[in-house]
Amino acid sequence: MEHNMWQLLQIELYKIFRRPRTYIAFGASAALIIILQFGLKVDGSEYASFMLQSIGNFDVQGKLLNGYLVCFIILQLMLVHVPLLVTLIAADMISGEASHGTLRMLLSKPISRTSVVMAKFYATCVYTFLLLVWVAILALLVSLLIFGKSDLFLMRSEYIVIIRKDDIFWRYICAFCFAYISLVTVAALGFFLSSLADNSIGPIVATMSIIILFTVLGTLNIPVYKAINPYLFTTHMVVWKDFFDEKVNVSNEAIAGTIENLPSIIHSLLVLTVYIIVLMGATVWVVRKKDILS
Amino acid sequence: MHPVISVQHLSKEYKNIHAVNDLSFTVNEGDVYGFLGQNGAGKSTTIRMLLTLVRPTAGKIELFGQNLFTHRNKVLRNIGAVIENPDVYQYLSACNNLKLFARMSGIHPTTNQLMEQLDMVGLKDRADDKVQTYSQGMRQRLGIAIALIHDPQLIILDEPTNGLDPQGIADIRNLILHLSRNKKKTLLISSHLLSEMEQVATRLLIIDKGKKLVEGNAETLFDPAQTVIELETLNNEAARIQLSNSQWQQALQPQRNDKILMKMHRDQIPELNVWLVQNDIRVVGLQSRHSLEDYFLQVTNGTQHVATFTN
Repeated sequence: MEHNMWQLLQIELYKIFRRPRTYIAFGASAALIIILQFGLKVDGSEYASFMLQSIGNFDVQGKLLNGYLVCFIILQLMLVHVPLLVTLIAADMISGEASHGTLRMLLSKPISRTSVVMAKFYATCVYTFLLLVWVAILALLVSLLIFGKSDLFLMRSEYIVIIRKDDIFWRYICAFCFAYISLVTVAALGFFLSSLADNSIGPIVATMSIIILFTVLGTLNIPVYKAINPYLFTTHMVVWKDFFDEKVNVSNEAIAGTIENLPSIIHSLLVLTVYIIVLMGATVWVVRKKDILS
Repeated sequence: MHPVISVQHLSKEYKNIHAVNDLSFTVNEGDVYGFLGQNGAGKSTTIRMLLTLVRPTAGKIELFGQNLFTHRNKVLRNIGAVIENPDVYQYLSACNNLKLFARMSGIHPTTNQLMEQLDMVGLKDRADDKVQTYSQGMRQRLGIAIALIHDPQLIILDEPTNGLDPQGIADIRNLILHLSRNKKKTLLISSHLLSEMEQVATRLLIIDKGKKLVEGNAETLFDPAQTVIELETLNNEAARIQLSNSQWQQALQPQRNDKILMKMHRDQIPELNVWLVQNDIRVVGLQSRHSLEDYFLQVTNGTQHVATFTN
């Protein structure tokens, strides 16, 4: 009987969701979001005043600290946190099986190595999707329930963005979809490093180190590093924020329902997609060639 | 007899180390093929090549008459294997591990079939316990259940008695005999213990440093006429002189340690015993073993000899 990818995916998902480790990510995300929401609920007005101090005399009407702003704050803070949680699973998918000795059992079955790797990758993508949905429910929907709905007031380095409350929700949906592609890129990196090792710790630490290193390089204002910035995946991972920039008309008024720099977002999506394809192609190549000695 | 496994000039080199060196052998349908060698002799590497886990540097492998690497999935569907320690998913129960590996082998057994399989290896009562609570022996038995769940024609067991207590070893031996005699399976079993293989194997291959040393039928190799006696007396010097002047002269072997070595038919041992008593030779110890075991021990102790056994 031939295996199909759906069967293999079911098996991989079954393994992922039977492991206690899987739920650490869900628990850790929930804890972080709840702590932030609690802090902002208790001392939110002070935080809002602090925000407004830097822009001088500005008359704000309505509810500044609303669910949309809280979600934005949470997502900014979780920018590094969520990729690390994805790494915990992705970088363990191949090397974890190698270190536990189950990889040799798996690869001596009548299933091609490419199918095994791809089933594992798709399962990681499903896990990443569910984790992101979990974060979205807690960060956006729960924040809206607790803090209510109002216009979104964002401070950028050179200007202020105010988006009407009925023009925000779809931007979050787009931002979460973009974040999903970013996280899949991290998963692909974890997978590639996982294919090179026979233990879990090395690929997990290496993936996390690369994310941190690339993020640091991206923030350094040194010409030699600025030149490589466009090629670092971490540079493109933060582009989700561009969904919260509107176009302006000749009178400098925001046009509802528009995105200021859509080509830049599409460019970043393409770069991340190329990263995913190259990393997964390399992973399949390595696993197909590898002697299983563990 | 159809060859189930045909290995020709197989080699595997790791950075100038020949793990397997020009190895050729054939396993026929119905064989219980004992694959012997000391640790590091190349047994596991050969088995991994038979399961496509390791790619050979040179040589050809055919299973069921088909090239292993061009018909990989079709061939592997007919193989059940336990490679070294059968590592399974610790966080799953035996039943769930069995179900999961069965699905990977392309079958969907019912709960009754899973339980039957676990019953056969004596794990039915612990079917729902997580594997992390299992002893080494129980894991070994679960590995065998996993290897057999899809009813393969060829079963490959790499050191199946590793870490087992005497009862566990006896159980595995009985299971091997059951699979061979009643289920008509072909088995390739690797071990570093000749005494284990002696009891189950129909054919034997001994390798060392990746090279074939001996291959042949167990009946021929374990010929009782080739029994080695290790004799220890109160005065070995005097006993040796007495033996060399008696009808036992032809049986005496060159001295290897402080004991007297003799080779004879197993049936002659009682007669020797009587002669020793009659000649007032005080015996401290008399041990018999097959000459193949004697040879194997020499090889595994690092002294290589040229094999003189015939098929």
